[in-house]
Amino acid sequence: MSDAKAVADRLVKAKRLNALLTPPKDLRKSLLAQATAARPTGVLYGMPVAVKDNICTLEFTTTCGSRILEGYQSPYEATAITKLKAAGALIAGKTNCDEFAMGSSTEYSVYGRVLHPLDRTRVPGGSSGGSAALVAAGAVPAALGSETGGSVRQPAAFCGVVGIKPTYGRVSRCGLVAFGSSLDQIGVFGRSVHDAARVLSVISGRDPRDATCEDRDPLRLPTVPESLQGFVIGLPKEYFPPELDPVVRRACDRAIRMMKELGAAMREVSLPHTAYAVPTYYVIAPAEASSNLARYDGVRYGPRFDGNTDLRGLYRATRGEGFGPEVRRRILVGTYVLSAGYYDAYYRRAQQMRALIAQDFRNVFDRGVDLLFTPTVPSPAFKAGEKLADPIAMYMSDIFTVTANLAGLPAISVPIGRVKGLPIGGQLIGQAFLEDEMIEAAYALERVVPATDEA
Amino acid sequence: MSVSRDDVLRIAQLAELDVEEDALPEIAEQMSRILDYVAQLSAIPTNGSVKTFVPGPDAIRFRPDEVAPFPLAFGPEVFAPVFKEGFFVVPKLGQFE
Repeated sequence: MSDAKAVADRLVKAKRLNALLTPPKDLRKSLLAQATAARPTGVLYGMPVAVKDNICTLEFTTTCGSRILEGYQSPYEATAITKLKAAGALIAGKTNCDEFAMGSSTEYSVYGRVLHPLDRTRVPGGSSGGSAALVAAGAVPAALGSETGGSVRQPAAFCGVVGIKPTYGRVSRCGLVAFGSSLDQIGVFGRSVHDAARVLSVISGRDPRDATCEDRDPLRLPTVPESLQGFVIGLPKEYFPPELDPVVRRACDRAIRMMKELGAAMREVSLPHTAYAVPTYYVIAPAEASSNLARYDGVRYGPRFDGNTDLRGLYRATRGEGFGPEVRRRILVGTYVLSAGYYDAYYRRAQQMRALIAQDFRNVFDRGVDLLFTPTVPSPAFKAGEKLADPIAMYMSDIFTVTANLAGLPAISVPIGRVKGLPIGGQLIGQAFLEDEMIEAAYALERVVPATDEA
Repeated sequence: MSVSRDDVLRIAQLAELDVEEDALPEIAEQMSRILDYVAQLSAIPTNGSVKTFVPGPDAIRFRPDEVAPFPLAFGPEVFAPVFKEGFFVVPKLGQFE
């Protein structure tokens, strides 16, 4: 009981970051009730896990940071939440995020922007910025986020915590509010690789409620390795372009040196279609979003705006009022690329490019490379407001993360040092369903790289 | 600019989305920039030789054809904007377009 109180106190203390959407009173009450009901034999017994507000919970509302789901109480919970509770974890409130997970800075929430825990003038990354900020601020040891194009790894890198995006199909999407169904996966933040990995292990595994979830046992955690002997780690040259921010390059160079010292064989490789990943993503993700978000029309969920006209007037008014600028933009772009006459020019080509990007990875892995190491983001956390007027500039911050989503591969961001006090993340991309290998290497990297020292 | 004001209105109608008149120029400009940017995908040959890709299980898993209701903690009367006597209440259909 006193633990639950302490958890609530820590979360409420972090209120200044605007990372938590659950009101303190509701949070305290729920945590006390959950602590009483939690199974003491569970592997996560007593561990508070904050949850991004696009994952359905019975304890708290699920708004997706949107006006169109204001006050929405889901009548069921996500499979990941059921599994967490069965393992004894406490659902520690809902975290602020970009509206419907669309954004890279957590500035597009109707509940206001999330502040970076180390520099309030900067963004925590996004779209799972609230979850990343709470873990970074020490309010919770782990949190759930969601990934469509890097929404866990990018904020993990900006905030200096660990972020894992599992293989597509590793974790059930049941109860994750759909954005881009062929890309979406629930991901995990942790203050350490171990915290993130053990939460991932609990939420992974088969689920009859999600046909895209693979029929596999939950992920088994590897042990912390003594060395990286035997690992072949590829360095894709397209992820280290000449224009890469020198501070990011410096931190990566140090991490590469340390992995070599641990015995890993580092090999330069090429993923030739990388340059097309962001344009591919920004066709496929909006196209899927425009279909998925068609369900919000003021009839079944959330508030209704201007119900005095006819039915289509109700749809248009509710959607026009209920969606914020970035969501509206993506719905319009998605509708455009799927509309008659444009489908082949945009959507079909993007699907073809997606195949080429996935093939690039297969080619590299087929030649004996176990994992890839890259920077997670091309720069440290940027200033709030800096990229709001330029959607393309905002999209480019996903350039090193979207490829793993397009190819359905697992990836992890690990803090690899700081530059002028701002965290830098290094990314390991693994082979499908070989998260254990990826986590093993991340354990080793985490152990040797001084995550909070200047690189 | 590849997207005109009229294009935005047409697409907004398809998307069932009200767009304010004074926001149209900015939306058209931003959509144009995004579409011009993604147009680099035209580098791919169009003869259909490149297959498309979707991740996930290679084969669809079949399950027994049994009705298993998804248990809900409460009904739509709690989360629907207007719900009466077992129905979602909506305004009249209006003129068919």
